[in-house]
Amino acid sequence: MKTPFVKCVAAILSKDLRAEIRARELVSVMALFSLLSVLVFSFALELDRGAREEAVSGVLWVTLIFASLLGFNRSMAQEREQGNLDSMLLAPVSRAAIYVGKLLGNFIFTLIVGLVMLPLMTVLYGLDLLDGWVILTMVVGIFGFASIGTLLATMTVQTRAREALLPIAMLPIVLPFLLTAARATKGILSGAPAAEWQGPLGMLGAICVIYLALCLLLYEYVLEE
Amino acid sequence: MLMKTAITVLALAFALLTNVVTLAQDGEEPRAPYFQSRAFNVPILAGWDDQSGESFAQFHLAEAQATIRTTTRAERDPIAAAEAELAMLTSLRAPPPSYSGKVNLADGTWHVLVYDLEEETTASVMARVAADRVAVISFIERDPAARTAVLTLARSDGSHEVASREMIFAADTLAATAPSDLLQEESVTLPSGEWAVYAGEGMTVMGLVFGNDSYVALQQGEQGDLAALADAYNRTLLGFFITPDNRHYLALALAVVFVILGALVGSLFWRERGLRKDLTVLEELARAEE
Amino acid sequence: MADKAKSLPGELRIEGPPQPRALRLLTVVTVLGFAATLVLGLGLAGVDIQQGEIQRIFYIHMPSFFGAFTAFGLTVAGGLLYLARKSEKWDRIALAGVEVGLAFSLINLLTGAIWARPIWNTWWTWDPRLTSAAIMCLTYAAYLMLRAGIEDAGRRRAFMSVYGILAFVTVLITLFIIRIVPETIHPMIVGASPQKAQGSFEATSGVVIALIPSLLLWLTLMPITIIWHRVRLEERMEALHRLKMQALSE
Repeated sequence: MKTPFVKCVAAILSKDLRAEIRARELVSVMALFSLLSVLVFSFALELDRGAREEAVSGVLWVTLIFASLLGFNRSMAQEREQGNLDSMLLAPVSRAAIYVGKLLGNFIFTLIVGLVMLPLMTVLYGLDLLDGWVILTMVVGIFGFASIGTLLATMTVQTRAREALLPIAMLPIVLPFLLTAARATKGILSGAPAAEWQGPLGMLGAICVIYLALCLLLYEYVLEE
Repeated sequence: MLMKTAITVLALAFALLTNVVTLAQDGEEPRAPYFQSRAFNVPILAGWDDQSGESFAQFHLAEAQATIRTTTRAERDPIAAAEAELAMLTSLRAPPPSYSGKVNLADGTWHVLVYDLEEETTASVMARVAADRVAVISFIERDPAARTAVLTLARSDGSHEVASREMIFAADTLAATAPSDLLQEESVTLPSGEWAVYAGEGMTVMGLVFGNDSYVALQQGEQGDLAALADAYNRTLLGFFITPDNRHYLALALAVVFVILGALVGSLFWRERGLRKDLTVLEELARAEE
Repeated sequence: MADKAKSLPGELRIEGPPQPRALRLLTVVTVLGFAATLVLGLGLAGVDIQQGEIQRIFYIHMPSFFGAFTAFGLTVAGGLLYLARKSEKWDRIALAGVEVGLAFSLINLLTGAIWARPIWNTWWTWDPRLTSAAIMCLTYAAYLMLRAGIEDAGRRRAFMSVYGILAFVTVLITLFIIRIVPETIHPMIVGASPQKAQGSFEATSGVVIALIPSLLLWLTLMPITIIWHRVRLEERMEALHRLKMQALSE
C-alpha cells in the first residue's frame, strides 16, 4: 500500500517548512548571500542610473541562481546527513512524491529570498522592481531553477565531491532560464511594449514545463539505494 | 530496440531531406541572370545586345546608340581610370567633365562624372576603388539627335522634396541652363523602381529615390527612350557587386574542422596506445609472478 | 603461457578483439564519403557570388550540427535503454555520443564564427541561436566533467543517463529557437528565413547537390562510425580497469 501522492508531498513539504522555521538555516544563508552579492555587484560595477537599469535584471537573476545553488545543496545535504534519504526510500512512497515535496520546499525558500530581494534592490538601486509582472517572472523562473536543481542536487549530494559538482551540473542547464528570465525582467523594467518581453516570458514558461516533466519522469533513477 | 532507433534516425533524416529538397524547388525563383566574373558581377540587360568579354560586361542598345559597360581597370585613381576607359571606348580625348561629384553608397565612395565628348557623344561614368583596381561603370550615348546623361546623387536628409530639388539642380547643372521651370509629370514604374518624371523645354529629367540616394537621368534634344536607358543603367548600378574574396576564412574554417576531427580520432588512437602499454605491463607482471 | 594469452577475453588482448567486418567497411565508406563531400562542396558546387568562397563552409557547418544531433540523440537513446535495462553497453553508447557530439558541435560553432567574420563582420554576436548553441556545448562539456566526478560506477551510469536525457533539451532549443524567437539574424535554410536574417543564400540546385550528401554523411555515417570505435575502446578500458582492480585486491 503506497501512501497517497498528495499526502506524501504535503508530509515532506511540512517537514521541510517546520525544520526551516525552527532552524532558519536555509533562508537566512541564502538571503545573506543575496544581500552581499547585490552589494558586491553595485560596488564592482559602480553603476550610474542608466547602467543600473541595464544591469539590474542581470544582477537579480545571477544572484538568485547562486543563492539557489547554495540552498539546494544545503537542503539535500541535510537530508543525507540525517539519513532521511535512506528512510524515505524505505517508506512506501513514490519517488515522484519525494521529488515534488523537495521541489516545493526549495521553490518556496528561494522565492522568499527573491521576494525579499525585490524591495531591497528597489531601495539600493533606486528602481521600482515591485511590479506584478516581475513577480510573475520570478515565480516561474525560480520554479524552473528549483525543478532542475532539486533533481541535480539529489544526484550530486550522493557523490564524494558533492558541493563542487552542483554548480557544474546546474549552471549550463539553467542558462536558458537565466537568459529568458533576465530578458523578460529587463523588458518589463525598461517599460518596453508588452510584445517585447512576453516572448521570453512565454519561452521561460515553456522550458519550465519541459524540464519539470522530464525531472518528474527521471527522478526515480537518481534516488537509488 | 536498435531497429527502432535506426528507424527513427532514418525517418528523421528523410523528413529533413524532403524539407531541403522542397525548399530548393521553392527557392529557385526566376532571378535576373548575372554576368559573373572574379572581379565583379552585374545583371545581364535583357533586350540589349550582349558584347561582353572575359573581363568586362558590355551591353549595346542599337536604336538609342547607347552602350553600358562595366569593367575594372589597373589605374589607381578613379578619375584617371574613367578617362582611360573613355579613351579606350570612344578613341576621343576627354574634355573636363561637365559634371563631377562623389557619392557614398553602401559599397563605397563612387566618383560620378559626366563628359560631353566630340561627335555628339555623351558619357556618364561611375568609378570607385575596389581592392587594388578601380571598378568603372560607363554609359555612352552616341545618338546625334539627343544628349542623354545619367548620374547618382546622395542626399543627406532623406526627404523626397530635397531629393527632387537636388535632381532639378543637377539637371540644371548638366543642361547648363538657368534655374529651369521643370514641370512634374506622372511617375513611371520600371523594374528598377518608381521614377519621377519632369519635363521642360526640349528636356526630360527622370529621378529615382532608392534608400538614401537618388538617381537622375536627363535627356535633351530629340526625346526618346530615356526611361529604358535610365532603367538599364540603374539596374546595372544597383545590381553591381563584387564577390568578396574570403578564401582565407574558408581555409581557416577547414583547418579548424580538420583539427577538431583529428583531435577526436587522435584521442581514440592515443587512448588505445595507453591501453596497450598498460596491458603489456600487466602481462609482464603476470609473467614475472609465474 | 600461450594458452593463457588465448584464453583472455578479446578486450584484454593487447591487439584487442578483431574488428567486425561491418565496422571496417563502415570506416572505409565514411572516410571515402567524407572525401567525396569535400570534393562536392569545395570543387563541384559553384561559388556563391554574393558571399564568396566562405559560403562553402556551410556544407560542413549545418551538417555538423545534425551530426551532433544524431550523436546526442544516441546519448538519449543509450540513457533511456540503460535506465530500462541496466546494461552497461548502453551507457558506453551514451558516453561515446557525448564525446562525438561535443566535437561536432564545436565544429559547428567555430565554422559558424569563422563564416560570420566576413559576412556579419563579427566573430560572435549574442543572437538567440548562437547563444543556445553555445549553451548546448557547455552543457555537454559539463556532462564530461560531472561524469569524471562520480566515483561509484553504478551511480555514475544512472546519473549520467539522466543528465544526458536532460541535456538534450538544449539541442532541441537550438534547433527550434528560430521558430520560437524569430528576431534572430541567423539565416534559415530549411523554411523561410526570418525577416532579419543576414547572409542567407539561395538553395539552388548546386547547393542542394553539395549539401544533401554531406548532410546524409554527417547525420548517419560520421557519428555512427566514430561512436562505434569509441564504444569498443570504452569496452577495453573498462575491462582493463576491472583487471587492475582485481590485481589490486589480490
